[in-house]
Amino acid sequence: MNDLLNNLSLGFSIALSLQNLGLAFLGCLVGTLIGVLPGVGPIATIAMLLPITFGFDPVGALIMLAGIYYGAQYGGSTTAILVNIPGEATSVVTTLDGHQMARQGRAGVALGIAAIGSFFAGTVATVVIAALGAPLTRLALIFGPAEYFALMVMGLVFAVVLARGSLLKAVAMILFGILLSTVGTDLETGQERMTFGLQFLSDGVDFAVLAMGMFGVAEILRNLEQTEHRDVVRQAIGRLLPNKEDFRQSAAPIVRGTIIGAILGILPGNGAVLGPFASYTVEKKLAKDPSRFGRGAIEGVAGPESANNAGAQTSFIPLLTLGIPPNAVMALMVGAMTIHGIVPGPQVMTKNPNLFWGMIASMWIGNLMLLIINLPLIGMWVRLLKVPYRLMFPAILMFCCVGIYSINSLPTDVMFIGLFGLIGYALIKFGFEPAPALLGFVLGRLMEENLRRALILSRGDLATFIDRPVSAGLLAVAAILLVLALLPSIRKGRDEVFVE
Amino acid sequence: MIAATTWSGWKIPDMGGISMSSHADRSGQPERRWSIRSPQAFVAGLTLVLLCVFALWLTSGLPQGTLRAMGPAMLPRWLAVGIGLCGLALIVASFARPGDGLERWSLRGPLFVLLAILAFAVTIRPFSIGPIAIPGLGLAVAGPLAIIIGGYATDEARPRELLILALTLTAFCMLLFGDLLNLPIPLFPQSLAGLFPDGWSQKAILRVTATILALVGVALLPVGRDRSRKDGATDVAGHSGGI
Repeated sequence: MNDLLNNLSLGFSIALSLQNLGLAFLGCLVGTLIGVLPGVGPIATIAMLLPITFGFDPVGALIMLAGIYYGAQYGGSTTAILVNIPGEATSVVTTLDGHQMARQGRAGVALGIAAIGSFFAGTVATVVIAALGAPLTRLALIFGPAEYFALMVMGLVFAVVLARGSLLKAVAMILFGILLSTVGTDLETGQERMTFGLQFLSDGVDFAVLAMGMFGVAEILRNLEQTEHRDVVRQAIGRLLPNKEDFRQSAAPIVRGTIIGAILGILPGNGAVLGPFASYTVEKKLAKDPSRFGRGAIEGVAGPESANNAGAQTSFIPLLTLGIPPNAVMALMVGAMTIHGIVPGPQVMTKNPNLFWGMIASMWIGNLMLLIINLPLIGMWVRLLKVPYRLMFPAILMFCCVGIYSINSLPTDVMFIGLFGLIGYALIKFGFEPAPALLGFVLGRLMEENLRRALILSRGDLATFIDRPVSAGLLAVAAILLVLALLPSIRKGRDEVFVE
Repeated sequence: MIAATTWSGWKIPDMGGISMSSHADRSGQPERRWSIRSPQAFVAGLTLVLLCVFALWLTSGLPQGTLRAMGPAMLPRWLAVGIGLCGLALIVASFARPGDGLERWSLRGPLFVLLAILAFAVTIRPFSIGPIAIPGLGLAVAGPLAIIIGGYATDEARPRELLILALTLTAFCMLLFGDLLNLPIPLFPQSLAGLFPDGWSQKAILRVTATILALVGVALLPVGRDRSRKDGATDVAGHSGGI
């Protein structure tokens, strides 16, 4: 306990420096901006802004990037409530009751409770990260290659189960992602694999290029063919502060949402996305009068919004303690860390305590900033929403080009975002989802490395994964999950969750 | 609600291959035994099989190794086989169960967006392929080029608007990336540097170029503004709303 307080005070002393405060503010502001704007996600934005952070010290750089990520979660709900379009994938559920509240003239209260719930969730999640950081790091030290491999398999199975639509397609996408990660020079034998003899491919496909292509360019291509209908509420926003009755109704949902979101967020395999759905389902089940949901029930905003923010923050845990990025945004964080010469994993906490605790403290500060900057600025965000897409997408396109060019100064990188954009567009057209592919790519190299190492240690005996209790346990969880997801009754339930 | 869910990819699960229920009652056609009942799943499966074959061909020259000492080709080959199996399963499922049809592809969007990206890539710094050589033109040219070409990806494109956006945004990027952040990105054509007096530093040239671009962009603002405002109002629902 004393340790925890000492560490947190170290963290706050770093996060409160003028430069880091400024960077956290900038990150939150940019994050809210892209969260509000539909069509620009945090993945493409962080990839674009990676080169900007070259000049900062690593702590400041990561504080800013983290701010963008959770700022986007905040901003996404603003769009969901006011325009009935989820600004981010995680705010889909908020459109249900949030927008109904807005139509009843309670937009302000919906925004207010979303912000307050998010702030509470962010505070709790910060404490969870601080408390779990040390024990999990110790756990990581007893992990061998076999355990790491099993953990990543479990993460990917989670991603398959959580993916929308066909399980088969999700599996194929994950395999495709891992396959893409094997392009380039084989680290152990030095032989080039699937490079077509092209020199710029011998280092493999750059993650930022892949992410920006599949999530920046492909998103533009897809949005271009949809005539989107923006249903901006015409009513006044109304007062922002919820009254006593609102608070009474939403207190329990906020707490439940926070717990659900925090637990799901820790899971590798992008569990954070499921948080809002799970919270909404739980609130609807617990409600005395479930029919109120979908018609502007405040619980339907408070719970999911808290879950969403809690999950976004606890998803830092696998990255900071085990060095395994649980989703694409965290994979970009790995990129940012490596650029600054920091190897993500258990050693970050001991070797770079400033970075670890500074980042955690900055998350809480960032959440406070978001609460303060968000509510008064709502009018500005609404005005931004009126910028037509025909002007927004050329700007996004150019930022993508400039951003990706400045990472490696390679024109071929720029061309490759076009290629991956086209591939991503084709995948969407065939009913595939690009997100699992990205996760497969992220974990692919680590998985291959650990698989090989584990097999070398066991002299080629595959039984090593089952003989070691921890790895056997993890693989068993993965197998059970997969079987459960295939059971018809559960699958029906899963579909319902996503349809809602 | 439905409009919202389809918007950002949260579409209602289409169950490409392995759904048990739903679409059967939708088709309403008499069942034919060996016809493709889910074109999307069929094409998706076929793509996966082709990808598998392609990857197997690419890794064909590499040693497989043993489990004890894995060669470079072992994992890619396993993965390719896995992808191929998924593809086959999708193809089989496309005969067995009804599902989604193929979506329409638009040509205009991808074409212009790819052209814009390509234009940026070849003009940002000296580029030569075969007999064609393009001198490095820098961000001052590549930026506007990408915005204007890319802008035409939608049929709502308006030249004047795009030109203003191109000039001001490029100026902004030059100042942000070149001046403020000092990133090594070429900013203007090298031949341009000769036009400025000798004593000028790179930064001074940068700032002057950016200012000129921005000023030209701003100067274009009043031209024909009234006309564009009239038809601009239809873009967003609730434009005159209370907010």
